[in-house]
Amino acid sequence: MTKQEVLGKKRMQILEKIRKSLEKLNERMDVIIELQKHGRKDFQPLPEAPLDVMTLLSMPDHLRKTAMTLCRLGRATAEDVAQQTRRARAVESAYLNQLVIMGHLKKERKGRKAYFYVEKEDQG
Amino acid sequence: MGKIIAVHSYKGGTGKTLLSVNLAATFVKHGKKICLLDLDFRAPSLSTILKIKKAECWLNDYLNGTCKIDKVLIDLSDRIHNDGKLFVGLANPSTEAIRDMSAKDRKWEMRALGRLLALRSSLLNDKGLDYLIFDTSPGLQYSSINAVVSADLVIVATTFDMSDVDGTKRMLRELYDLFEKKTDIVLNKVLYDVSSKFGKEEVQTKVKDVYQVPLLGVIPCFCEISRAEGNIIFAQERPDHPFAKILDEIANKIDNDVA
Repeated sequence: MTKQEVLGKKRMQILEKIRKSLEKLNERMDVIIELQKHGRKDFQPLPEAPLDVMTLLSMPDHLRKTAMTLCRLGRATAEDVAQQTRRARAVESAYLNQLVIMGHLKKERKGRKAYFYVEKEDQG
Repeated sequence: MGKIIAVHSYKGGTGKTLLSVNLAATFVKHGKKICLLDLDFRAPSLSTILKIKKAECWLNDYLNGTCKIDKVLIDLSDRIHNDGKLFVGLANPSTEAIRDMSAKDRKWEMRALGRLLALRSSLLNDKGLDYLIFDTSPGLQYSSINAVVSADLVIVATTFDMSDVDGTKRMLRELYDLFEKKTDIVLNKVLYDVSSKFGKEEVQTKVKDVYQVPLLGVIPCFCEISRAEGNIIFAQERPDHPFAKILDEIANKIDNDVA
């Protein structure tokens, strides 16, 4: 391999790293935007959207991980999900709220704790 | 705690049901407690292979939420002469049931996923089973993806047929990887000379190059299997047959890998 080819390969690797970092930043920006919308009084959540496997498949990786964990747990707090995914509680809280806004999850407050779930058992 | 195994493939006819039934029989032969569930609702076949004519409830009913899983399971342990246990849950083979299952909406599929996930608690925890084996429909069917999502290990039955290889590669990247599933390959109907060292190595290298996932086992094309026309469960009835020996190795590998 010539020097130029080696340089070219390195450049491509750097560009790929930048692309991945930008994608991650984009995902985080999406969460922040959704959460800001959520804080607005006039904000209306999207209509209920079933969390089936095809929906899971079409989700971005970061949300899929959260959604799948909640599917397994059934009903859980952001803390419970964070323990499974090994991500920060605040991150899971943001993702779970985004899934609520998208109509995939429901949220219920009990005291100081917020519980997220796909569907109540008696509705099944 | 027990584990869930989904046996899946891209194309039909790769040997999923043959593998599921014989793997279940092998585990039972090794003294394990197993439950085998037919999730191939498009073409149910376990009732025929296991020669069971009637079921109190079908898996269809469990997924519809009209009966408990205990009512679906049929205890076949009396067919086995050791400490192992075998339960099976059957898909309803009637045309009406197949049509009904093909017309389910997304909300139903979401609930079906919840009910499959609940089996981890009801069968693996409460009943103390060692393995729950899902036999699935080929390709990207809802019921099969539900099974894959619920599983701890996905065994992909594949052949070296061109039409199967490309689709299997895509599924590995675009399905199992996305759900972060541990995936192993079982290569079936192999015409290589696997009895020689060169044949085995050649096959292993080829699978590693093509799929980039671990190879769980290689099953040669046995004429005896075709000749049996689905009437013989080799792992149980012909324990000395090379196919049964390969299944012993596969079962031991799974035990070691997922323990």
